[in-house]
Amino acid sequence: MTQTLLHVQGITMDFGGVRAVNDVSFDVSPGEIVALIGPNGAGKSTVLNMVSGVLTPTQGEIFFESHRLSRVKGYEYPTLGIARTFQNLQTFDDMTVLENVMVGFHSNTKSGLLACGLKLGFSRREEQDMYDRAYQLLEMVGIATLGHLQAGSLSYGKLRLMEIARALATKPKLLLLDEPAAGLNHSETADMTNMFREIRKQGTAILLVEHDMDMVMNVADRIVVLDQGQKIAQGLPEEIQANPKVIAAYLGEEEEGGV
Amino acid sequence: MFKDGKFKKSYLVYLLIVILFPLFVSDDYYQSVAVVIGLHAIVVIGLCLVMGLTGQISIGQAAFWGIGAYTSAVLTTKFGIPPALGLVAAALVPGFFAYILARAIAGLQGYYLAMATLAFGYMVQIGITEWESVTGGANGIIGIPSIGFFGETEIGMYYLVWGFVTLVLIFSLNILNSRVGRAYRAIHKSEIAATSMGIDVRKFKLSAFVVSGMFAGISGGLYAHYMGILDPQPFGMHESIVFITMVVVGGMTSIWGALIGTVIIEMISEGLVAASHVIPGLKGDIDTIVFGAILVLIMMFMPEGLVPRLRTAYLKRQVKKAEHGKQKQKERETVA
Repeated sequence: MTQTLLHVQGITMDFGGVRAVNDVSFDVSPGEIVALIGPNGAGKSTVLNMVSGVLTPTQGEIFFESHRLSRVKGYEYPTLGIARTFQNLQTFDDMTVLENVMVGFHSNTKSGLLACGLKLGFSRREEQDMYDRAYQLLEMVGIATLGHLQAGSLSYGKLRLMEIARALATKPKLLLLDEPAAGLNHSETADMTNMFREIRKQGTAILLVEHDMDMVMNVADRIVVLDQGQKIAQGLPEEIQANPKVIAAYLGEEEEGGV
Repeated sequence: MFKDGKFKKSYLVYLLIVILFPLFVSDDYYQSVAVVIGLHAIVVIGLCLVMGLTGQISIGQAAFWGIGAYTSAVLTTKFGIPPALGLVAAALVPGFFAYILARAIAGLQGYYLAMATLAFGYMVQIGITEWESVTGGANGIIGIPSIGFFGETEIGMYYLVWGFVTLVLIFSLNILNSRVGRAYRAIHKSEIAATSMGIDVRKFKLSAFVVSGMFAGISGGLYAHYMGILDPQPFGMHESIVFITMVVVGGMTSIWGALIGTVIIEMISEGLVAASHVIPGLKGDIDTIVFGAILVLIMMFMPEGLVPRLRTAYLKRQVKKAEHGKQKQKERETVA
């Protein structure tokens, strides 16, 4: 393994008296796709929320390149190179699809209040540039024809693609995806899997939380398995598939009644 | 989104109405009504930026208006500063107050934000009333010099005020579809998503407040020099609520809506005044009741407001027309 991009070191998250995540550590290397899997309530989304700065770990520390994430403000994450999508979609419904993606360029652009209000030359060029690049990103995820529609009028699956385009607009080194295939049909999932390979080819690492095992086994370079807040395994997809602990965790899920 | 050409058409219609109005309506009274509409429109467009775009409710907008008015009035009457400089101060001082207020209440949302801005409004109005040595207290200030703009005529003031309305309108429309405007709208919809896109939510909320405070202040300064006298009465909650009604009627998310909402409410207000001469029962605070009823009805039946509603209806008709056209073409093709 080369130099690590993301280094998660012993993070723990307590919600009141409930320990949702307990002493979890793992790494992500540049350009690598790591999947975070586990039964419902294993703490996957909580881990993702800590890595993306929405939650602060009760204990432990997360490093991104040379930065301690506990010292980085939420809005500075995209500047560092971390972008994310949301499990329960956080889209800007009243904007067009293109505008949604253009918001993603926020951290890489500069036009301030006066420049925008007076439509100064450079802010106009920046605007045009954002528009063009947003369109390209929509082409890449395959929804360019929907660019001028209000985001609120799109189907669930298309909104997921839009969120990915919006996250890619920040030019991330690490893309955090929270159940991107939820609610997608077979062919949409296959398209998305191909897209992740394309994103990886361009040098962006992905940390993927996903329930669709076909997708995970297909696209992940490495897999980290959580169960009840603890890391129970990590390794290559084929190793994970054969791991008795993992199988037990998944088969035992119904008895314990996942949260 | 609207293509450039369509925007230009709306600008053109707007400019024609604004420029030609005094030529057709030469009555001094109606010109003065138009001046007041313009003054309110500046405040309401600012409120639209902070409330409609950024989603930060402010029930204290009349306070910024009052601070602007008193700043310019005090500077020009007590220190002999020319009104033009007084206007600059009338923009800066409320902007500063807005900055302090926004810093103080940065973490508040929803009801709590509404309560805090409401309290701020009361504090300012009471402050103005009690600080007698400077503001003249409840008696107010008299003899505020007017701004010599094409002489001290009603028509000169009309063009000055509507010149400012036009600047504020264009500035705000430019903001709407820009990096900053998208940041405002993103914050309105989802602060978490906005943050994850690199938007410094606090900073942008702050800037929206400051801009809206400055707009209100400019309008207040113009108001002071236009009226020539000031007292604290117009700068209270009643006026703040009227401003909110104007924003809501026109459509909170639309800058044009803010302008049109202002015009509609002012016209209703004038209609009530005219009606009160005929119907003796319509005296007192009847306008408060009517505006309150309008606010409730809009919330119930047209929460998005007038302009967005009309825009949606227009777009739907366009789509229908296009589909109809396609169908006709198909029929023709099948016949052929």
